[in-house]
Amino acid sequence: MLSNFFSYIVQGTAITIGVTLIALPFGLLLGLLMALIHTYGGKISNRLAAIYSLLLRGVPPIVLLFILYFILSGKVINLTPFWAGSLSLGIVSSAYQMEILRGALLAVGGGQMTAARAIGMSRLQAIQSIVLPQALRLAIPPWSNEASIVLKDSSLVYALGVPEILRRAQQLSATTQQPFLAYGIAALIYFVLVFATNRALDYLSERTKLPTHP
Amino acid sequence: MKRIVVLVSLLVAVSIVLSACGGSSAANHLEAIKEAGVIKVGTSADYPPFESVDANGNKVGFDVDLMNEIAKRLGVELEWVDMPFDSLIAAVQEGKIDASISAFNYSEERDQTIDFSDAYYTSEDAFTVAEGFAGTITNPEDIAAYKVGVQTGTTQDSWLTDNLVATGKLPEENLFRYDRVDQAMLDLQNGRIEVMMSDFVPAQALVDELGGLTIVYNGVLSSGPMNIVIPDGDAELQQAINDILKQLQEEGFINALAVKYFAE
Repeated sequence: MLSNFFSYIVQGTAITIGVTLIALPFGLLLGLLMALIHTYGGKISNRLAAIYSLLLRGVPPIVLLFILYFILSGKVINLTPFWAGSLSLGIVSSAYQMEILRGALLAVGGGQMTAARAIGMSRLQAIQSIVLPQALRLAIPPWSNEASIVLKDSSLVYALGVPEILRRAQQLSATTQQPFLAYGIAALIYFVLVFATNRALDYLSERTKLPTHP
Repeated sequence: MKRIVVLVSLLVAVSIVLSACGGSSAANHLEAIKEAGVIKVGTSADYPPFESVDANGNKVGFDVDLMNEIAKRLGVELEWVDMPFDSLIAAVQEGKIDASISAFNYSEERDQTIDFSDAYYTSEDAFTVAEGFAGTITNPEDIAAYKVGVQTGTTQDSWLTDNLVATGKLPEENLFRYDRVDQAMLDLQNGRIEVMMSDFVPAQALVDELGGLTIVYNGVLSSGPMNIVIPDGDAELQQAINDILKQLQEEGFINALAVKYFAE
């Protein structure tokens, strides 16, 4: 009985990991694009990027998730709840990742850009081969924070009918009347996942460290 | 900047292509379901004995058995979609699921946005208290003197809000809304609320399971007939489900289910 319960919740882990693996990289790409626009774009695009970040960070994730879900899984675009939920979560996360990356881009400093331009690189070349390689490295520690937040926020997709870890724990707590056991198992799985993610990112940060950045 | 323009136009193009993929040749919803060979039914599987999951994660319960039989007689596969109770009606409205069975009671408010099948069961409301409760409840409205718990979005929630809170008998801060009935029952045990209003059958199941609780009143206040939720104006699906429900009543199938799950 108990081992069955455990395995039912553990099966939800695949969904949690799947949602995270879609939402995080999608949010990273979108966030990076917006961060670059905000930092290097013209006056109007700069404004638009700032509004994007303000709107997405100003609304509770669950509300945004519902709005985006009904757009992404509506009559025009029709994705499955799993994909719509994952991409929506990625869009929500992109605003936070954008600010992390913007901080990293600014931390590299304007002098690098000026120097690159002085030796004849175009702006795009300078961003690609001088600024970004440094900024992405700097972004890893704060980004690991966002990674663990997205991992845990993936439980929000259950409101759209995707049965991940937390929803399964809820169902079992309703069936068995043992909420501590059910939620305890869920907490344990989340902890292991977040722990593994953070250790992996720490390792990546250590391995890619530049000699010039202590 | 030019790249961004290219990217945006690409996204627009992709979404147009995706939207063109939708659309079906079927004349109505029922035809579309039969063509697909599968009916997607939403439920909130945390409400034993109507719907819950067993140790292996299979859906079980009165509603589950009933819907399985209905799908069988419609000649289609049944695909369960599990959602929180208060997402279900929105999902039917938006066409994310074909129908929903989750111990729904008829209410006028709900009827404005979705349609109901005929009733398959009649439920009663119950007031549950912890053993040793010192107060007295002779009329339903007497509960206004206590801290009351209820599940969000249920007909009981509307009944309490309309009859007791809106009239000023029950202060808003004394009404505690929960996601699920079992959470509320645990709080009742712990003394955080004094009276819990819910459907009678799940209340009875929780009283038996948890212990230390007792039902002091049961009768029809907010509840009554239970119906399957179908999209607004979907006459064909409604007719098909009603026909099957009628057959099942006549064959005694539904009574047998009630005996199995509610020991009636």
